[in-house]
Amino acid sequence: MGKRKNVIAYLFVSPWIIGFILFTGGPILAVILLSFCKWDLIAPPRWVGLENYIKMFRSESEFWMVLKFTLFYTLLSVIVSVGWALFTALLLNQKVKGVRVFSFFYFVPAVVPMIALTFAFQLIFNKELGVVNYLLTLIRIRNTPNWLMDPNYVTWLVAVLNIYTFYTGQMMLIFDSALKEVPKELYEAAEIDGAGPLTRFFRITLPTISPILLFNLVTATINSLSASFTLIYPLTGGGPGKVTQAISLDIYYNAFKTFRLGYASAEAVILFCISAVVSLLMFILSKKWVYYEV
Amino acid sequence: MKRLIVLLGLLVGLVLMGLADETIVIRYAHWNALPPDPYNYVKAFEEKYPNIKVEFIQIPEAEYSQKLRTMALAGNAPDVLCLWEADLADFARAGWIIPLDEYVKQSKELSLDDFIPAVKKLMELQGHLYGLPWCFATEIMYYNKDLFDKAGVPYPNENWTWKDFEEAAKKLIVIKDGKVVQYGCDALSFQGLWYSLIGTFGDKIVDEQGRFAIGEGARKFLNWWYDLTNKYKVVASPQISTSGVVSADLFMAGKAAMAFNGSWMTSVYKDITDFSWDVAPIPKGVRQYSTLHTGFFAINAKSKVKDAAWKFIEFCMSEEGQKLINTAYSNPSARLSILKKGYYKVEGPKGPRNWSAIEKTAEFAEWGYTLLPPGLTFDLVKDFNAAILGQISVDDVIKRAIEKAKDILGEDRVVVQ
Repeated sequence: MGKRKNVIAYLFVSPWIIGFILFTGGPILAVILLSFCKWDLIAPPRWVGLENYIKMFRSESEFWMVLKFTLFYTLLSVIVSVGWALFTALLLNQKVKGVRVFSFFYFVPAVVPMIALTFAFQLIFNKELGVVNYLLTLIRIRNTPNWLMDPNYVTWLVAVLNIYTFYTGQMMLIFDSALKEVPKELYEAAEIDGAGPLTRFFRITLPTISPILLFNLVTATINSLSASFTLIYPLTGGGPGKVTQAISLDIYYNAFKTFRLGYASAEAVILFCISAVVSLLMFILSKKWVYYEV
Repeated sequence: MKRLIVLLGLLVGLVLMGLADETIVIRYAHWNALPPDPYNYVKAFEEKYPNIKVEFIQIPEAEYSQKLRTMALAGNAPDVLCLWEADLADFARAGWIIPLDEYVKQSKELSLDDFIPAVKKLMELQGHLYGLPWCFATEIMYYNKDLFDKAGVPYPNENWTWKDFEEAAKKLIVIKDGKVVQYGCDALSFQGLWYSLIGTFGDKIVDEQGRFAIGEGARKFLNWWYDLTNKYKVVASPQISTSGVVSADLFMAGKAAMAFNGSWMTSVYKDITDFSWDVAPIPKGVRQYSTLHTGFFAINAKSKVKDAAWKFIEFCMSEEGQKLINTAYSNPSARLSILKKGYYKVEGPKGPRNWSAIEKTAEFAEWGYTLLPPGLTFDLVKDFNAAILGQISVDDVIKRAIEKAKDILGEDRVVVQ
């Protein structure tokens, strides 16, 4: 009877397991194997050992530039997007009139297709016809910047524009529901003890929502590392030069524009390792600041 | 016994009837959706050949190349493929497509002499004729006639040199409060233009052996274009473009008197109503040069219906098919006899009028950079832009371009000019 029950249970979970093997586990294994091969999608893959990795880590390789930008972008975009999501969620928890209208406006950019959004940004930040530079000329600034083509601005800009991505909106909703779960009596008690808004935020709000903060930090990091493609590709295409070329973009170019599937797979393996190490570090460090209610 | 013979006879009859009625199905892939009636060339073909049915497969442009490659690898590529220039060579090398030389020789409809010169050149490079261009586009110059009139500058013509261009551009800028409000020329937006303009400075781009060939021409062009942009400020600063599309087109906004772009932009600019405009060939440098763009009809080597596939290609390349394709997509025919008939000309109220610019360009234009992987050529453009913005030196850009080309194509497929 027990065995039969087990079989039934396995049958129920089997669609997920089969799906995982076919669509996730299998491809991951294939990518690892391909990273040791040379393959142009025409001739059969040829085993080249560590050649792709050696090429990637040569001192003159462009990969270093790509890696540097990816890490800078990830760090900044995680701070910006998580900070923005928490800030808007806090605003939504204020007792003000029309909070639902605010909630709608905060979330709208998250559901606008990224292509449309990036085209709008290209227009807004255009050197000649953009509204930002027009406003700057009103305050008598003549040498207006070429925002998306100047390395000094564009790297910061792409990271800041993360506040308009879907996952920032999603994080805001998660923070919003977490904030609603913070026991009211804690705030009342703190208020009686004379705690101000900042003290209440750092001593009550943050520790209470810390598990959710950790969750959002981890997902934002993984998103920034791997899903940066959806924002950067239509916005800057990785340029000017290579200054905004994130690893995800480089993988796409190498795999599907130059058909160097082996090299692109090696980059994907490195990206996978970076994501795993960063996430692991976050979990280890979280033991010091995440508060789990027992 | 008699009954058995009658029964067998009936069966054979039925099988023969079935065979007579059999409809051949060919699969055909393209990145564009089929045009609506009355320009649907697939429908027109099916009406003409009722025993052949075309199963159309549309593959989005962004994944066209890799999808066709994976289909070919899996052995289920369509019978008729419309292949991009860079893919044609790879597919031919892999033996995935068949030469069409014999089909063309036997065709009453087509003759190799009737094609634009670049088709024959490609055939010489590849050893066989592996594909026929479904139509073509090229890169040309656009100019705002009203701004030229206002500045009293004569219009560009087919004899223009880069010196004429520079002089005109300097007269066409307008500066207000120390800020340029009208440029002589817009920045290069479509990636291919960099190679067309470098080509006029002498580099072969792709030589007779199919090798990537840049160097001195690129150096001279980039230095000159840098000066035009930064020293004389007659050319607008580079701006971001996504797959060759810019969000803010200074030419269309009437803020740049000239612009370089693909001939396909005639179908966009035809809606301009604010000013008169026209087209001209790209000015001459040490030689005339421009890039051609197309897709090549090719036949899958594993197709079981090759003759029917050829019939479809022959129809598409016939005057009947070309008329439909040229009109639907506003692109000219690569067949000289049909090109002259001008089915592709879709004029707007303010331009263009000088269609001969496209036809003249077709006489000297080459496939050039389109024969190379787009990942290499488009990636180099990011560095070209960075050089114009003063972020990397021109010499470093050329050095990096050659190194990158060697890395991607292999040492033997790169020549330093």
